[in-house]
Amino acid sequence: MTAEILLSIRNLSVRAGSRRLLDDFDLDLHTGQIVALRGASGSGKTTLLRTLACLQDPTNGTLTLRGDAPADLGWPAWRRRVGLVPQLPVMLFDTVGEELAHAFTYRGAIKKFDPDRAARMLSALRLDAVKLDDAPQELSVGQQQRLALVRALLLDPEVLLLDEPTSTLDADAAEAVRQLVRAEISLRPAAALVVTHDTGHADRWCDRVLDLQILATEARG
Amino acid sequence: MSNALDLTLLDLVIAAALLLVAGGVSVALGLGLGRRLALAAVRTVVQLMLVGYVLAFVFGQGTLTAVAAMAAVMIVAAARAAVRRPSHTYRGAFGHAFVTMLLAGLVITTVVTAGIIGIRPWFEPRYFVPLLGMVLGNSLTGVALGLDALLSGVHDQRSRIELELALGATAWEAARPHVREAVRRGLIPIVNSMMVVGLVSIPGMMTGQILAGADPVAAVKYQIVVMFMVAAATSLGCIGVVLLAVRRVFTPRHQLDLTPLRRQDDT
Repeated sequence: MTAEILLSIRNLSVRAGSRRLLDDFDLDLHTGQIVALRGASGSGKTTLLRTLACLQDPTNGTLTLRGDAPADLGWPAWRRRVGLVPQLPVMLFDTVGEELAHAFTYRGAIKKFDPDRAARMLSALRLDAVKLDDAPQELSVGQQQRLALVRALLLDPEVLLLDEPTSTLDADAAEAVRQLVRAEISLRPAAALVVTHDTGHADRWCDRVLDLQILATEARG
Repeated sequence: MSNALDLTLLDLVIAAALLLVAGGVSVALGLGLGRRLALAAVRTVVQLMLVGYVLAFVFGQGTLTAVAAMAAVMIVAAARAAVRRPSHTYRGAFGHAFVTMLLAGLVITTVVTAGIIGIRPWFEPRYFVPLLGMVLGNSLTGVALGLDALLSGVHDQRSRIELELALGATAWEAARPHVREAVRRGLIPIVNSMMVVGLVSIPGMMTGQILAGADPVAAVKYQIVVMFMVAAATSLGCIGVVLLAVRRVFTPRHQLDLTPLRRQDDT
């Protein structure tokens, strides 16, 4: 299978307040690829992911997904196809089932919620004990973080934007997350951009590691 | 109003003495409310006296122009009061409150005077001005509560809204739970007062009519009209301003943008 360009980032400039995080940043994300963006906390990783999900505007630059700009697809459709999983899990509902199924009630939703598939993903992430009528608020942060990943994966995003996806997990659970993401990406085919401050793990499971500090220095230079 | 008993100056002084008791308690307990209470009492007297003279003038004129001028002042004052109360505000909040209350106030008051009570002319100030006042006074509460709930809701629940957007919700889908909650909160007082009306409190207008010598059953019919009118105005005001305000915190690109919001202290 030849790798096709999924997400294309051109001349992207992002600021956080008055600070320049990125200037003229270019990146092509190919199908099947997992790219890590490494940077210390406060280096703007989260801001960059929010920008790629079009939750905020870049100062400059263009984004395309298989050649289409967000405006062509419509912003909600862009975000369905470019799935952002924030670092801190946010739970909206009283049951795990609603939590996972809610996004399928949006007007733009394409498929129907598949509880069996959800159960398989939960099990793959060692959440077998979590039932669909459990209260998400009563789960541990680590369990919520994995639940949030399942919630995003069920929507079949073509690009996954993962913000420190294993930050609250023990080694076993973190490995399960890496395996599931890898499996989902090769299945679709899709791609993932993972931001992390953890240098060791990034090298192990990502195809490419970019350093945000170096990119920012190049931008200023 | 020939059968209404006119109050003497002495009667007003006795009423003021009742307030002095409350003031005395405040001073004795060191509540620090004495000055505010005194100021509030003085404002009540001065404002009501002024309104009495203004009303007498407008009633005397009886022209559409005089009523329109009076209504304009009332709507501006109501809109100002409504946007001062919420914990957050934004540029243009006054305009939104003004437009909402202008429409809700005028439409509903006119339906009542022209359609239900059937006064000719429909703007007869003796009916139109007090009814508009009641409509505005109540819809002001709906507007203020609705705005407060919406703006503090989107401010405090930012991560939930952005999560829904990230999952592919449109701005409206992400905002809907907060819009619904804001409208619900804005309508709580009026719904509660409709639930207990007559059981706990006899409404001010009915009290006034009965004191002024009207038949209680006739007063009740008026009160029903007034309650429905007030509930309709509160709902329309609250819904209108919430729908206008929610557009200010989302961009056309379905992003939540809280930069227009400003915190304000309640004074």
